[in-house]
Amino acid sequence: MSALDPNERRLTRALYRAGIRPHFRWRELRLLLVVAICLTVGWVSLESFRQGQIAIGDAALLAVYLVALGVIHVAFVVTGRRMDQILFPTAGLLAGISLLVMNRLPQNLVVQQVGGMELPLGPLQLVWILLGFSLLAAIAIFVRSDGWLRRYKYTWAAAGIALLLLVFVFGSVVGGARLTLHIGPFSGQPSELLKVILVVFLAGYLAENRALLSSGTTRVGTFTLPPLPYLLPMLAMWGIALAIVIVQRDLGAALLYFLVFLGLLYVATRRAMYVLYGIILFLVGGALLYVLFTHVQDRINIWIDPFADPQGAGYQVIRALYAFGRGGILGTGLGAGLPSVGDVPSIPAIHTDFVFAAIAEEMGMLGALAVLGLYLVIAERGFRIAAAAADDFRALLATGLTLVIVVQAAIIAGGNLRVLPLTGVTLPFISYGGSSLLVNGAVIGLLLALSDRGVEAPPPGVRPNAVVRAAQRARAVGGRIEEALS
Amino acid sequence: MDVFTLSLWALRIGFVLLIYAFFVVVARALWRDLRAGVAGAGRPLARLLVVGSPEGRPQAGTSIALDAVNSLGRDVNNSIVLDDSFVSADHALLTFRGRAWYVEDRGSTNGTWLNGQRVEGMAPLGYGDEVQIGQVRMRLERARPE
Repeated sequence: MSALDPNERRLTRALYRAGIRPHFRWRELRLLLVVAICLTVGWVSLESFRQGQIAIGDAALLAVYLVALGVIHVAFVVTGRRMDQILFPTAGLLAGISLLVMNRLPQNLVVQQVGGMELPLGPLQLVWILLGFSLLAAIAIFVRSDGWLRRYKYTWAAAGIALLLLVFVFGSVVGGARLTLHIGPFSGQPSELLKVILVVFLAGYLAENRALLSSGTTRVGTFTLPPLPYLLPMLAMWGIALAIVIVQRDLGAALLYFLVFLGLLYVATRRAMYVLYGIILFLVGGALLYVLFTHVQDRINIWIDPFADPQGAGYQVIRALYAFGRGGILGTGLGAGLPSVGDVPSIPAIHTDFVFAAIAEEMGMLGALAVLGLYLVIAERGFRIAAAAADDFRALLATGLTLVIVVQAAIIAGGNLRVLPLTGVTLPFISYGGSSLLVNGAVIGLLLALSDRGVEAPPPGVRPNAVVRAAQRARAVGGRIEEALS
Repeated sequence: MDVFTLSLWALRIGFVLLIYAFFVVVARALWRDLRAGVAGAGRPLARLLVVGSPEGRPQAGTSIALDAVNSLGRDVNNSIVLDDSFVSADHALLTFRGRAWYVEDRGSTNGTWLNGQRVEGMAPLGYGDEVQIGQVRMRLERARPE
């Protein structure tokens, strides 16, 4: 940007001499400054409300987080990668809002023992955010080729299905859904990882068969269908989504996978008919599931009329609606909302599924819209990276990764607002949860790696003049004599 | 209303407004990108500087603007016509793919040479590299002199 700034030039020269080729990211730095100011103001507003006077309180968590953002920024600059400069601050602001909200919620919602220390909700979320962002930075800096994703797409798909089967067999049921896998002391939700594997596979498959899918046809009566062998993956995808709903009882993940798949299919083929067929398949499958399974019926019935059972099934949804109402346009302010019943918050899943309701109550419609706007910024950057990609695979991969984040945010925000039936997925970067933060960090990291425009071209070499060459030769001869003598 | 309540109100509204300030900074960056894209649309990606050409067509010292795909040869349908007696009708292809320039020989009689070495099939080249086609020697240069 300001390539002529003499200070920058002096710094660049010094770093070049040390073997470092920096690429300055002033735009990212400016955005990170806005993020830091914004989060600090938010923190002060929360602490002031708690203490009844203007105070910043113990801001160690916030300080650690802001320093971590700065460290990652410097790492990007020093490694000289020419990546997108807006994605990282946007993710940083989302995770920062998450840190504020988690710090504000009752700390005993989640308590975990880590090496003899008891970490409550706020610090625990910070640990996960830091791990997720470390993964983001590592992928953005070290991934220089997509060959390992491109070449082994069927292996990835097989690994994904194996993961799914593992959950089917060994998964433990938490909150009515068989999602969590325990391996030794670790537990995680593989469906989060599976969404990325799925995007990698679909990008590889569609990039390879794009031409056939978008040109060939099979006629069945008056309908024009895509060539049948290439339609099979679509049906397989549909089958997998159904299996997830039936066995895992995970409506959210199934909906996410299917929507991302339809989006990618449309981007790859530019044929709206495929999306239409997909929606028809979806409706048929949905109707089938509704008839056959009670947990699907429950979800739909709660969605249509939560007030039928206000103290039981509809409790959370109704509480969320009240929260949106209490928030109004400007919100109650951080710390002032969320009246609790006894010691627990009125919405039990306030830190995971209903975090959007918490934001809407305390930051108001203005704040909730701002959070949705941040996802739009991610969408804009992701699709731009896809449009500028060098080939089909990279374009589809970037599109899919963007869709995974944005569609997931839309599904859960819609569920909170009773626009869609409530399904249990996380709000990316904001909900509490290790698997979600790690995987979304990896997704943004991959997007950054895909947006890289290469290390800055080295300056043209200069042939050393005669004097320098003579000196070099003399030094080499001297070295050899020294070696021979010693 | 006392001072504390007022400043608390200002703080919480300020917090949300600062998120919108973030959007303003992002929008400004996008707007600048858009303007730069429009301004840079007509700019060539790079240029070829003719270093030596004994027959004088093109003349040595000529600077040729490059697109993403450039065909070189003696035939008039090439995007860069090299009217030299040692150049084939459809001689070579110079393309910009993703991040790098590539030169490709199109089965010419006398071959395409990159820094004094004959190009077999396709070879990547960087700024400052010299391509010889027939008797015409050309150097790949950046679009704007630095």
